[in-house]
Formats: sequence, structure tokens, C-alpha cells
Amino acid sequence: MKGTRQLDSPWLHPRAAYVHIPFCLQHCSYCDFAVVAGRDERIDEYLDALGCELRGLQEPHPVATLFVGGGTPTHLNCVQLERLLDLLATWLPLEPGHEYTVEANPETLTDDRIALLASHAVTRLSLGAQSFSARVLTALTRSHHAADIRRSVTRARERIDTVSLDLIFGVPGTTLADWRQDLDETLSLGIGHVSTYGLTYEKGTLLWKQKRDGQVHALDEQTELTMYEHSMDRLQSAGFEHYEISSFARPGRRCRHNQVYWANHAYLGFGLGAARYVNGTREVNTRDLATYLDRCRSGRSPTMQSETLSPLDRARETLTVQLRRAEGIERMSFHAQTGFDLDELAGATIRRLVELALLADNGISVRLTRRGKCVADSLTLEFLK
Amino acid sequence: MSRLALRPDARHVGLSHDARRCKKNMTTPNELIRNFSIIAHIDHGKSTLADQFLLKTGTITAREFQNQMLDAMDLERERGITIRMHPVTIYHQYQGKTYELNLIDTPGHVDFSYEVSRSLAACEGCILLVDSFQGVQAQTVANAYLAMEHDLTIVPVLNKIDLPIARPDVVIAEMEQALAITPAEVLRASGKAGIGIEEVLAAIIERIPAPKGSADDPLRALVYNSHFDTYKGVVVYVCVKEGTLRKGQRIRLLRDGTEHDVIEIGRFRPGMTPCEELAAGQVGYVMAQIKTLGDVHIGDTVTDALRPAAEALPGYKEPKAMVFSGLYPVNNQDFETLREALGKLRLNDASFTYMPENSEGLGFGFRCGFLGMLHREIIQQRLERHSSLDLVQTAPNVTYEILTRKGEILVIDNPQKVPDPGQIEEFREPFVRISFLLPSENIGDLMQLCTERRGIYLRTEYLSPARAILAYELPLAEVIYDLYDKLKSVTHGYGTMDYELIGYRPADLVRLDILVAGKRVDALSTIVHRVFADRRGRKLVKKLRGEIDRHLFAIAIQAAIGSRVIARETIAPIKKNVTAKCYGGDITRKRKLWAKQAAGKKRMKQVGQVEIPQEAFLAVLETDQ
Repeated sequence: MKGTRQLDSPWLHPRAAYVHIPFCLQHCSYCDFAVVAGRDERIDEYLDALGCELRGLQEPHPVATLFVGGGTPTHLNCVQLERLLDLLATWLPLEPGHEYTVEANPETLTDDRIALLASHAVTRLSLGAQSFSARVLTALTRSHHAADIRRSVTRARERIDTVSLDLIFGVPGTTLADWRQDLDETLSLGIGHVSTYGLTYEKGTLLWKQKRDGQVHALDEQTELTMYEHSMDRLQSAGFEHYEISSFARPGRRCRHNQVYWANHAYLGFGLGAARYVNGTREVNTRDLATYLDRCRSGRSPTMQSETLSPLDRARETLTVQLRRAEGIERMSFHAQTGFDLDELAGATIRRLVELALLADNGISVRLTRRGKCVADSLTLEFLK
Repeated sequence: MSRLALRPDARHVGLSHDARRCKKNMTTPNELIRNFSIIAHIDHGKSTLADQFLLKTGTITAREFQNQMLDAMDLERERGITIRMHPVTIYHQYQGKTYELNLIDTPGHVDFSYEVSRSLAACEGCILLVDSFQGVQAQTVANAYLAMEHDLTIVPVLNKIDLPIARPDVVIAEMEQALAITPAEVLRASGKAGIGIEEVLAAIIERIPAPKGSADDPLRALVYNSHFDTYKGVVVYVCVKEGTLRKGQRIRLLRDGTEHDVIEIGRFRPGMTPCEELAAGQVGYVMAQIKTLGDVHIGDTVTDALRPAAEALPGYKEPKAMVFSGLYPVNNQDFETLREALGKLRLNDASFTYMPENSEGLGFGFRCGFLGMLHREIIQQRLERHSSLDLVQTAPNVTYEILTRKGEILVIDNPQKVPDPGQIEEFREPFVRISFLLPSENIGDLMQLCTERRGIYLRTEYLSPARAILAYELPLAEVIYDLYDKLKSVTHGYGTMDYELIGYRPADLVRLDILVAGKRVDALSTIVHRVFADRRGRKLVKKLRGEIDRHLFAIAIQAAIGSRVIARETIAPIKKNVTAKCYGGDITRKRKLWAKQAAGKKRMKQVGQVEIPQEAFLAVLETDQ
């Protein structure tokens, strides 16, 4: 792969890598990621297996962005964390001007760990804050408190360039006032990046079961809408750019790694349940820990799913993914990337949605309007049908 | 289980044995032949009894019986009803003589009474089979009257006599009361347990007259059915009334005067079994290289081309489609595929009609005519099974007549064809006379149901203190959609009904239009009685509001008579629908989810900017008034 690398085709050849660390203190009520709670004795074995998987690269693969997510990567103790960071430094060396993100939970972000991350060139911390309200944190079965958030942000900012906060809105029983307060608290920390996620009830999660059984009730659509619109208003007036449906950043603070996903560009992926997109083929690793360990240690691939889309399906996918970005779909680059002319592919639908003021089209690119952002999934369906 | 045993194309069954027997009996004299049908209400065990005849007479072995059950028309098996006639010839030893018994099976459901009448015309007698628990039902009465009209000898048989819940005396009293049957004539049997079968066979021989007609007369054979065989072409089912039909003979179909050479003749044993000739009184099939079913008219007469009969046999009335609905491909480019599929279906079902039509809302499609609602449902299922087309069906309607101011009579099989109110002198709708047979305690509820549907009460007749026949005249439009279901629900499943068309009557009818997002959707127009129009309009727009998904914009749904809007509802737009997280691992999952949702949308019909699901087109039927 390295020999034929073409820097001008980032949708085929990855310069981004994702590494998954599934371990957590506990399994949160809303989370459907590949996580492993209460199995800390397997962490060392996991790092062994991850090493085996990385060795499959055969030689180090330099990357411009690296993202370590979870789970809770900072759930690892300092020895394990250092082992992980060393392993990644060996196999996924960073290019100059890199972005290196690690996800963390506020209560795990001790000074030791911060120091360790900083010394390994981590440039970005993504903190799973979710809320400052004790009631909401309980509903989400989070194990931290508002004070942990404030403390960890303050300490992290001393050593690490960018700190981002993840927040969840639309939690059952909350009101617009709760959400306003969460945003105000967040802004008071002076950070450069915020992600706001409307709560979704993912099948199989505790919250999904509670909702199914009538123990919790989803907020009504109007309240969720008002909350989302408030996020846009409040954060934009505080100087943040709304650069993707759920992502807000001060100028220069956008997450470059996530933008790879929304451009539908290529990326590598390692670890339990990790996804990768290389040379037009999407692959996903097994989500079962035992299988993952077993496969990696015996030198086999942990890949469970693989698919290569037709050029047309790939173009459609690119369209729907790029639509999430503030810059939207840029006609020239869309054609270069997919081989399809945007207007031939979807001209009629674009015109119809522009008429409904859900899309804006300046002739060069097509973007979601504010109202379009609120119904982006419905717009996607219009393009797929 | 048994309705499959009479499948005619099961050729593998005992062929050589049958062929021998067939030859030996080539010239069965008339007095040793009996042609009969079994008539019964649905589920009274008709086919099970027929199977017993086959087993008892050695026509099939128990093992073959099992084999045959596997190959059958799957729709019939699923629905547990007999639709097509399955004829069979059986031989039975009685008092030292071998009799040839030709059984012509009949369908039991109300939509197919036309087919019952066809079968009866080929017979001299029939078994009237009644469930000894359920007793006389509406189709028992209707079919018995049909048999009487054809001057057939009726052999009354109580079935399921072995059931612990059987109540033979009560049911025999009902048969006497409703049909004037002499109690002493009623035989007792059980098709399932094989009880009383010999007695029934004996009664067929003793009570039913032998067919008249001489084998030496000029040939006259009644065409009572046909089916299309992919390999052999049209198979014509005949009952030879006079003369003899031979292999190699040149025959003429009297109606159109077309001539054909007989390639093969034979009997149903129950598989198609070739033989050399069929003489007066015998029943079987003819193949004469006829290409399409359209070339053969049911009720036509087959005669010898060289020695033709002077007159045709009394034929049948053409089956008349009573219920119409529009059938549209969801994708307009599938129009030709749909036409082909309909053409194929019609090959084997001449009672179903289709004509191209054009709807503003739905594009190009077909207006299809059916014998009734069950027939309509069966056709739809066959279409879906044999082609992968996505179809939208409009609400069924009956055929109306309009007398215009100019004195013309317009036949309206589609609400879209209703002219301006100013041009209408008289609007007429078809009426039926309908008999309900039901527990006496439900009479009140049913009368209320009929009154709500503009019914005209005729009479009540008690079969016993517990059961009665209620007779009404009702507009057919009020009957077709759900009256049967309503009857079943009011009577907890014990009520049955049967109806016949009695003619057209003037009524104060109007066309109720539906506008979706300001655009009239012609396929949603219905013809309703003026008195019910306002309430119906309000209900309909409310119902449609629930059927049509929210869109990205607000949608007004209005009901209107002419230019007057009588009801309005609004579907609010989608306000928020956005996936919060879409990172590397989510993309595949989301794409698959969206593809699934988009496929669901594809099954809807796009009318202007609005996607309307199939259910919405049927919403106009919901008549809970």
C-alpha cells in the first residue's frame, strides 16, 4: 500500500487511523459501542492482541490524524496507557502537523495520565462530559460529577492544545432550561470544541429497554427541536462554527480526524469493533472480545464484515455523508472523488429541496440550511429513494 | 386436507391401470352412468367426502392420496377453499354391476356461485351436504335452490356425524323447514371417519337418474370448464349429452363455428387419463390444439363437424364482474410487465377482466373486474406471487348507471367517469337480494347493520327458535367490502350470507373527491349517498391523515363534493429527524438503515410531491358509520 500511495486520492489511501479501546468502568445506559465493563484483567491481553493486529501493517504507516476512542482509553492504568501509546507510536507514526485525539472520561483524567498523554504528542482530548446536571448524569448512569468535568478540563488545558466536550441533550425528564444550563457551564470553561448529541435510543441498550417497557418516555419532537436550535444559537453567538450536524468549533479547532469521515475519505481502524475504509472497501472488526483476542493472537484477521460498494452506491453514500458538513457537497471535488456529476445524480431532488428551503445551492456547492439540519435524515432518504 | 385430491393434472397417478379400465368401459351404457355434484356450505366437508369416494372405490390408494395432497394450488390449500372445479370419474361395483360415477366438484364461496351453476348443468343430481353441527347455512340454501332450478335430484347427506357435538335431529328439522326435505331421505355420514360412504354411493346410483341421450345421435357436448396447460394448450372439460366424442374426430365449437381436430380425449381419474371415446352421459376432457382460453367459451356446445347437431345446448350466462378496482404499478415503467402478468392470469380465469386506464394521480394502470371481493383478493395474491411487481390497488367499487339529461345511459365502473352533476338525470346503483342465516339472538344487531347501509327489510323466517333466515335488499356497494366480516363479528362467526343481483335502482348519489396538497387524487374518489357524504368526508380525511406519513412540508387533506370542500385536516411537517452521530463505524449501518427506509418509500405512490401508501387508497373503504 505504501509504495503506491497517492496523496491526491485521500478517499482511497488512508492518512487517518482510529484505534479502539473497549474497556470501561461500567456500561452506560445509552451506549451501544463495542465496550467491555468489569473485565480489566483482560487489558494486557488486549494490548498484546492489538499489537498483533498492528503488526499486520508489516511496516509503520504514517498518519496525519490519529484518534483513540472507546470505551474509555483513559480507563487503562498508567503502565498500560504508556504501553498503548508506545505501541501506536511504533506502528502509526505521526506526520508533521498531526492531530492526535484521545477520548477520556472526566473522572479518569488524573494528572499522571494527562502528563503521559502530553508526552506522547497527544494534541486533543475529547471528554465524555455529557451533562453537568447530577440528575442527568444519573439517568445516563455516568460515574462522574460536574466538579470532575471542571477540574479535568482545567488540568488538561495546561498540557494539551485542544479540549472538546461531548454533551447529550434530550434526556428523558429534562427541559430546555436544563440544556441551557449545560451549554452555559460548557462555555464558561473556555474550550475550543463542543459536540452536542441528541439522545438516541439504540436498540439493545438499557435506555432502549426502559423506553420499550414504558419506564422512560422520549421527549416530544418540539422540545428536542428547540434544544437543538438553542445549541446552534447559543454556540454560534459564542463564536463557534457549526461545522457538522453535531459539531461546533472555534476557528481552527475543528476535529480534522472526524472530517475525514464526513468527507467519506479513507481511514485505518484497529481494535475491537473498529471500522476501516481502505481502497473503497469497508471493513468492521468483530465486537466479541474473546474472538478478537483469539484471532489476533493466532495471526488471523479480526475482520468480521467486508463490503465494496458499486461506484453508484459509493457516490450516493458520499453525498449523504458530506451533506452533514457545513461546507456541504462541493460539486468539483464530488465529481473528482466519485466520478459522478452531482446534478446528474441528484439534480431534481436538490432543486426540490432548495425550493423547500431545506438546502442552499450557490452553484458551487450544496449545503443544508438551518431547517435542513434539523431534518437531515429525511433529506437523506429523499436522495436515496 | 382433501380438496387437493381432485387435481386434474396429476398424471402420474395410476395411469396405466386407469387406461386399461377406461378402454374396457369405453361403452358404458347410459343406465350405468351417474353424473353428480356435491353442494355444500364452505367447510362442511365436501372435499373430504369426495376423497372418501376415491378411496372406497379404489380410484386412488391411500398412498397416492398422500402424494396428491402435496401437489396442489397453494392458494386453495392456504385458504382451505375450493375455487376451481375438479372433476373425477370413479367406478363402483353395486349389486353385481359396475357403475361409472362422474363427480364434478363445486366451489363453496359466495363469489363463485357462478361456477356452482356451471357444474350443476353437467349433472342429473347432487349431494346436498350439511354439517351436522353447524346445520343449514346461507350457501346451503342458495346452492339447494340452484339445484332445484336445474331440476336436479337432491341426495341430502348429514356430514361429520361422528362428532360428539353433532346434533342430527335439529339439523334435519332445519333442512325440512328451509328446503322442504323429507327427513327420511337424509343420509348420515362422516367423510373424515369413512362412515356411511357405501350408503351414499348406493343412494347416488338408486336416486339420481341416469343421463338421457343416445350415443348414436349427432354429437352435443357441453363445455363446462377449461384450463390452460403450458405444454398441451387448452384442455376443455366436457359433458357429452348426446352422441359420441372420439379421438381423431373433427369437432366444431358451435358458438364461433371454429373447427379443430381432437388430439386426445380422456377422463379425470383423478389424473388426466386418455381414452378412445366419450359417449352420451360421460364426462371428461378434450384436447384439440386450441391455443388460448379465449377461443373456448364456457357453456358452448361441441359437435361433430361432419355431422353437426342442429341446435346448441342451453348455455350459460357470461360471468359478470361485479366489483371493480384500479391496479397500478408503483413504477410507471412496469406497465407493460403488469399487462403481461394480467394476460397470463386471464389465461386460466376468464371471469376476470382488465382494461387499461389512466389516472392523474397514479399514472397508467388497469381497471380490473372481479366476481366479488374474495375473487379480487385471490387475483391480487396470484399477481404478487408470480411477478415481483409493486402494485397499488384502489378501493373497489361496483358498476353504476347514469341516465344523462340527453337520455343516454352511461355505465360507470370508475368514479372518475361520473359526469358533471348538471348532466345527470338519474344516478342508479345495483341492488342485491341478500339472505342471512344467523342465530335468532343476533337479528337485532344485524337489522341495525342493514339499516345503516340503506337496506330494505324483506322478511324473517325461523328455521328453529334459535336460527333464522333474514332477507334484505341492499345496495351492492354496501355489501362488497366488509359486510361479510361485520356479519361474522355480530354473530360470533355463526352467521352466513348469500346474495344475488336484482337490478339497478335510482339513488341520490354523489362523487366525493379527495384533495391532497391541493391536488385532486382521482383514485381516492368514491361514490357515496348524499346523506352520508359529509360524515364520510370528515372520517375519510381524518383516516388519511393517519395513513400518510409526515413529509418535509405541511400537507392539507380535503374532502370535496364538486367545488365545495366539506372537510379538512392537515398533516404537520417533520420537525426534527437527524442522526446525532455519524462516525467511521456508523456509516455502513446508517446506509443500510436508510436504504431499507428508502425501499419502503419506493412502495408508495408519488402523487405530486406527496407519497401515498397503499393503505391510504383502501382507507376510503372504512365505513364504520
